[in-house]
Amino acid sequence: MALLRAKPSAPPESLPAAPGDDRASLLANLHSPEPAVRRGAARALTSHPEAAMALCDRLDIETSPSVRAVLFTVLIRQESPAVVARLLVHLRSDDAALRNGTIEALQEMRGTVTPHVRDLLDDPDSDVRIFAVNILGALCDPETPALLVDVLRHEPHVNVCAAAVDALAEVGTPDAIEALEALRTRFGDEPFLTFAIDTTIRRIRGG
Amino acid sequence: MTISARQPRSPPTITEDEYAKFCEYFYRKTGIQFQDTKKYYVERRIADRIDKTETESFRDYFTFLRFQASGEELQHLVNSMTVNETYFFREDYQFEALVKGILPARTHNRSQRDPIRIWSIPCSSGEEPYSIALSILERWDQADNWDIEIYASDIDSRILNEARTGLYGARSLQRVPPALLSKYFLSRGEDSWQICEDLRNSIDFSLVNVVDPMQTRRFRNVDVIFCRNMLIYFDDVARRETVEMFYELLSPGGFVCLGHSESMSRMTSLFIPRKFQDTIVYQKPSKAE
Repeated sequence: MALLRAKPSAPPESLPAAPGDDRASLLANLHSPEPAVRRGAARALTSHPEAAMALCDRLDIETSPSVRAVLFTVLIRQESPAVVARLLVHLRSDDAALRNGTIEALQEMRGTVTPHVRDLLDDPDSDVRIFAVNILGALCDPETPALLVDVLRHEPHVNVCAAAVDALAEVGTPDAIEALEALRTRFGDEPFLTFAIDTTIRRIRGG
Repeated sequence: MTISARQPRSPPTITEDEYAKFCEYFYRKTGIQFQDTKKYYVERRIADRIDKTETESFRDYFTFLRFQASGEELQHLVNSMTVNETYFFREDYQFEALVKGILPARTHNRSQRDPIRIWSIPCSSGEEPYSIALSILERWDQADNWDIEIYASDIDSRILNEARTGLYGARSLQRVPPALLSKYFLSRGEDSWQICEDLRNSIDFSLVNVVDPMQTRRFRNVDVIFCRNMLIYFDDVARRETVEMFYELLSPGGFVCLGHSESMSRMTSLFIPRKFQDTIVYQKPSKAE
């Protein structure tokens, strides 16, 4: 028979500690030339919240997608206002993968993101405002629908408004309908936006 | 004191647009997609959750679900939408993909001295790892040329003992052809068959909590991971951590097989989707760092 019995399982507690499991070694390993070592170090630092800024420093220069993925995941676990502030910087990056990873990570965070994102809704860069709306739309924060309605009322850029309309299709309440109707009037010559507004109103009303 | 029973309520109405909104949200959170043909099934379960949460309508329930920071209600909903049942050759198109596509890909240009490692997690009462073994023995014509190690893990020690014992009833064995039943199983009384000792001894069962890195460290250079219908029960971050751990444990070019309703693209972009036979599996890039 081709099947072999695998070596009997060693209970996990009997395994020797991996080399460099102390905090100083892990921090040093964040800068190893080997991506696997950097991933391992980042993952092991999950239980060291004091290492959050070192992880952010690494993310600033990291280019390997697999290491970035682990860094983002660990930083989600270590959510804090300081971590959020460091991540927001990457929304302005020219690197699309880094921007998208940042958006996904911020969408996973629960308690500390909204105040920072609210500030970004006034950013001079319309792309950053779109990202802010994308993040808001995925948060569990009950403040989200009101913030999105506020975007509809005051945002001058059509694409930012479109992102808010899209997000309201999921989280919008009947309170948003008036602002949606007003937006239709404001951007009446944008057929795609009119279509999106109709869909969102229908979703809010429930058909 | 007056005790009044809660008045039975008629099932809430869920409109087409509400159903579409719900399906989009549920897919985003879990990767599970419902076709229109499932509408009745989905509506019944939503109605049940509306009742259990004592919300008044779909709209109230959806708001509660959508903004609950703990995610507890989403977990209840996922549990009610999924069927936790296992049997031999469940989703057998993946075993077909294993022997027709995955194993040939993993053994191409490879030394026969390197064993092939397959990990089934969670293995529950053993139907999945034994189905893997049976599929390889019966349907892969190269099986005799390779050493194959099958690992099977679960977080539940009671169910692991059942897997090691390998006793099954007719319901578990409903998809096992009679020829395989007589070849690999021994009758142990009415409605009870035990898988043969050789097969029981060929699989390494172990107690593993997949989110504990200490407990997964011993798995290295794995060729194929079967992880079906487990990640849907995890929250988003635990799901990310688990698939990143899979990435670490797999050999470059190794594969992950998820349940039919699960999608890796909802969790990470580290893996490449590959189509084999009638199923999509996920491959760690061959040149992964």
